[in-house]
Amino acid sequence: MIEVEHLSKTFVDTPVVDDLSFFVPEGQVLGFLGPNGAGKTTTMRMITAFLRPTRGRVVVAGIDLDSDPVGLRRQVGYLPENVPLYPEMRVDEYLRFRADIEDVPRPQVRENMEYVIERCMLADVRRQVIGTLSKGYRQRVGLAGALVHRPPVLILDEPTVGLDPNQIIKVRELIAELGRDHTVVLSTHILPEVEQVCERVLIIDHGAIVADGTPADLQTRLVGNPALRVELSGTNGQAQEALAALPGVLQVTPAGADLYRIEHQADTDPRESVFHLAVERGWVLTELVAERASLEDVFVRLTTRDAAAPADRPTAPEPVAEEV
Amino acid sequence: MRKVLAIVRRELIAYFSSPLAYMVMTAFLLMQGYIFYLIVSFLNQPGTQAMTPLRLFFGGTIFFWLFLLFVVPVITMRLIAEELRSGTLEPLLTAPVTEGQVIAGKFLAALGFYVILWLPTIVYVLILKSHSAIDLGPVAAGYLGILLLGFLFLGVGTFASTLTNNQLIAAILAFAATVALFSVGLLEQLVVSSSFFKSALSYMNLWTQMDDFARGIVDTRHIVYQLSVGLLFLYLATKSLEWKKGR
Repeated sequence: MIEVEHLSKTFVDTPVVDDLSFFVPEGQVLGFLGPNGAGKTTTMRMITAFLRPTRGRVVVAGIDLDSDPVGLRRQVGYLPENVPLYPEMRVDEYLRFRADIEDVPRPQVRENMEYVIERCMLADVRRQVIGTLSKGYRQRVGLAGALVHRPPVLILDEPTVGLDPNQIIKVRELIAELGRDHTVVLSTHILPEVEQVCERVLIIDHGAIVADGTPADLQTRLVGNPALRVELSGTNGQAQEALAALPGVLQVTPAGADLYRIEHQADTDPRESVFHLAVERGWVLTELVAERASLEDVFVRLTTRDAAAPADRPTAPEPVAEEV
Repeated sequence: MRKVLAIVRRELIAYFSSPLAYMVMTAFLLMQGYIFYLIVSFLNQPGTQAMTPLRLFFGGTIFFWLFLLFVVPVITMRLIAEELRSGTLEPLLTAPVTEGQVIAGKFLAALGFYVILWLPTIVYVLILKSHSAIDLGPVAAGYLGILLLGFLFLGVGTFASTLTNNQLIAAILAFAATVALFSVGLLEQLVVSSSFFKSALSYMNLWTQMDDFARGIVDTRHIVYQLSVGLLFLYLATKSLEWKKGR
């Protein structure tokens, strides 16, 4: 659906995007990750035909950016960072305006407006002035505006920035739902978001791809298998063998008296079966913790620059322990 | 065309949802009403030379120009500068819309607001008409002159608005540029010899052009000058917008 070949963009003398190539098949939800200044927004602006590439080719839904930039824009719905909207307009006035400039056929304008109002849950604010809405609503108005011409491709630049946790959950649910019938490219630096919403992750830094794969894939490839820490008492030395036999478990290593570290496959979660095993054998389970070496580590590992790097980069966090 | 109209409509919504529009309209009408009163009472004094009041009203006084030069930047300052500041230019130009359509829509909205500003002054014509026989030809020509001046100045203002994301700076630039355009023609008076230079300046003299219109003289040279300079600035605005977003 989206083909990007050898894409480069140079501002004055600084290359911001450097020979980027990737392909997004129809229906995929792609997470586009990278530290600030990695070139995410610039890449998105080229895919949406806002910026002209210095070199390279972009094809969206079969339309080449070079030969038909205006036609390409029809295929893409774009929600820029910080959701720029016209604060003085009412929600329905804004959507109508977007439908008009997006070339929605006249007889279909009403229908499309109703569709996005329903889809983005805006029915109760449709006559409100945008400037008076909360940030969560504004985000949804922005999304509705990007969707009003029913594009096959959606490009979302940091769609959950600045929202409160409840609003973040709602917007993420909406994106996941839209992912079912759209090809979505979503940029973010919130990693749990990618793990929840995206089927595939593309990490870029200095304008070039540094990793590409499913979230679980990247995790195993770059951090190793996920692991559990289990403390079991009264096992009479049978625990290691029994734990190793559980489905999805790759390796069990003792980590102290009654303490075991269980490496397992990324797509399985043996915590439940550990619990059932303990119940079945009459062992006492005193601790069961998932050692989450998450995408966060992958991200930090891949994008940490040398000592000269600016200080605004997050420092490597400890593996997050998730209590059961 | 539909997209241009959509932009015009959006822009008019923006004008009339801000208090600025009503302040400008109120100030404009107060000012024009006062000028009209001054002109009529001045002409009522015995011994003044015969001159139709509407000729003075249409550009015959410095008040007309002062106010025009102030009002135009206020109308145009927001047009593109605000889009640049708030980032709304991005969704606008990732819709299937060209830079030219954006400039056209914004400019026509500004021109529309300008026309709305002048519409109530038709009442003055009606007042005069009810008291004396007036020739409607020069009145129509006067309004045409005002429309053309608006076209020229608002074109300059639209261009100024593409240069910065700060409305105040856009207004100041527009003011400086329109004042320069207005004054350059007035320099005609300073050139004594009847040289090519003098006639060039006279060609650009907006005051005499407006006075011609107010006397009912519709001179194609004036129309060509004002339209072409206006269009030149609109073209520059389009180029400036293309350049601006590419950075």
